[in-house]
Amino acid sequence: MSTETPDTETSEVASPQTRRLKAKAARKAEREAASEGEIEGETVELKIFRYDPEIADKQEPRFDTFYVPRFEGMTVLDALMDARDRYDTTLTFRHSCRQAVCGSDALFVNGSQRLGCKTQIADLQEPVQIEPLPHRPVVKDLVVDMEHFYDQMRSVEPFFDPDDLPPADQQQHQTPENREKVKTSTRCIWCGACMSSCNIAAGDNQYLGPAAINKAYRFYFDEREGEQRQKERLEIIEQEHGVWRCQTQFSCTEVCPKDIPLTEHIQELKREAVKNNLKFW
Amino acid sequence: MAEQYSSFQSGTTLWFLQRVTAAVLVVTLMFHFFWLHFVNHAAEITFQGTAYRMDQLGYLVTILLFLFTAAFHGVNGVYNALINQGLTGTPKQVLKWVLVVGGVVLVIQGIRVAATMAGGPV
Amino acid sequence: MSQSYDRGLIEDFGRWTEFSAGMWAWVFHKFTGWVLIGYLFAHIAVLSSALSGPAVYTQTIGGLESILLVRILEVGLLAVAVFHTLNGIRLLLVDLGIGLESQDKSFYASLIVTAVIVVASVPNFLGGAF
Repeated sequence: MSTETPDTETSEVASPQTRRLKAKAARKAEREAASEGEIEGETVELKIFRYDPEIADKQEPRFDTFYVPRFEGMTVLDALMDARDRYDTTLTFRHSCRQAVCGSDALFVNGSQRLGCKTQIADLQEPVQIEPLPHRPVVKDLVVDMEHFYDQMRSVEPFFDPDDLPPADQQQHQTPENREKVKTSTRCIWCGACMSSCNIAAGDNQYLGPAAINKAYRFYFDEREGEQRQKERLEIIEQEHGVWRCQTQFSCTEVCPKDIPLTEHIQELKREAVKNNLKFW
Repeated sequence: MAEQYSSFQSGTTLWFLQRVTAAVLVVTLMFHFFWLHFVNHAAEITFQGTAYRMDQLGYLVTILLFLFTAAFHGVNGVYNALINQGLTGTPKQVLKWVLVVGGVVLVIQGIRVAATMAGGPV
Repeated sequence: MSQSYDRGLIEDFGRWTEFSAGMWAWVFHKFTGWVLIGYLFAHIAVLSSALSGPAVYTQTIGGLESILLVRILEVGLLAVAVFHTLNGIRLLLVDLGIGLESQDKSFYASLIVTAVIVVASVPNFLGGAF
């Protein structure tokens, strides 16, 4: 998680991370001010999307309401697990690490794409409405079919591919500056929140999507790969349904739980493609 | 996804030209609006007034540049909006050519009109 | 994956109250774009009356300009063109990598400046129309 901590206590560099941390500090202060002397409500009201093609009752999607006991620091994932364990073991959702590194529990909470394990109940207005990610087919309850997302990711060849490996007794060096450049792009946990928030990805099925383009960015700008490889990577993303479909809606940057400046990365690749094209004129 | 690995990177050029024409249009569109609504007034337009303006070469050239860039920017904009909506395959190819023809017709008609206003042959 | 449920795109515009600044910018830019290209074709068509001679041209334009609705629509055209231009400049800056962190503020700024310009221009556009 060391790529997440800002360099200084109060960093003034504008980035999605500083923006999010500032908003978080403000919300915390508001919460503390509002709850002075108050007795915290004992339960949280959850409205959860239910769908199950194999159960007659749930073939038409519906919302179920649960009341779960609240505790300090409770996350959406905590609430979901309590609802499942206490009331309805058929409530189905993906989750694994509980610490925002596996990317399993991206959900649509109160109208935004968020990671369940990283979203504080205290920050949300009740009733907390939890739905599966938009623009993905729903398999059951909060579980969506992620195959299309994985297809797009795979199509940019998301693996490190240097021309040669160094001799056995040496290491493959990367300068600190180069590492710094690709640092934010390496954080992607493949949660799918960004693609789900993009209106173009929703309309155009062939659009690579912010996550895939960011992956391409991560390798394109890695100095340890060769020039030919770089050219090949550029060719993949500069097709009609690659970077050009991005309309700078910025929703991806806003919802990314790892604070990756996705739109910025896509823009940089657009500029790279134009620069490369102009060379031939 | 591995549809067209053609070396003609049409996506790149169209995107770039859309931005270039945008920059040109910022100036020409604002000039056109300013000249024809604030300096001159739309309600007072006569053929003589128009001919007087179009007779000046600099003005005529600006108007023609405006016409070309606006036609390209607009038609390309519509094309992009449709691809974003998910238009693919045959309908996309058909619409692409309809748009190209529409744009060409617009430009040709525009040149004819401008030429007439400038006192030239139709 | 049998019988997976597709909730479709409906929720997009149904959730318009939750739209972010960037999304509004995209929606408005598209909408104003369509209006402008539609207007461009109509405009060239109207101007083509010049091909039928000076009198026809002057009468056509004069006739249109004497209709109050047309005068009001011209103010609408100004609003549409100014917004598309200002947001377009915002997009050009974003494309150059400038101002990405304040992109929502720059969108609001374009809206406000558009409103100011339109309101300030109303006397000029509608003067003498009534």
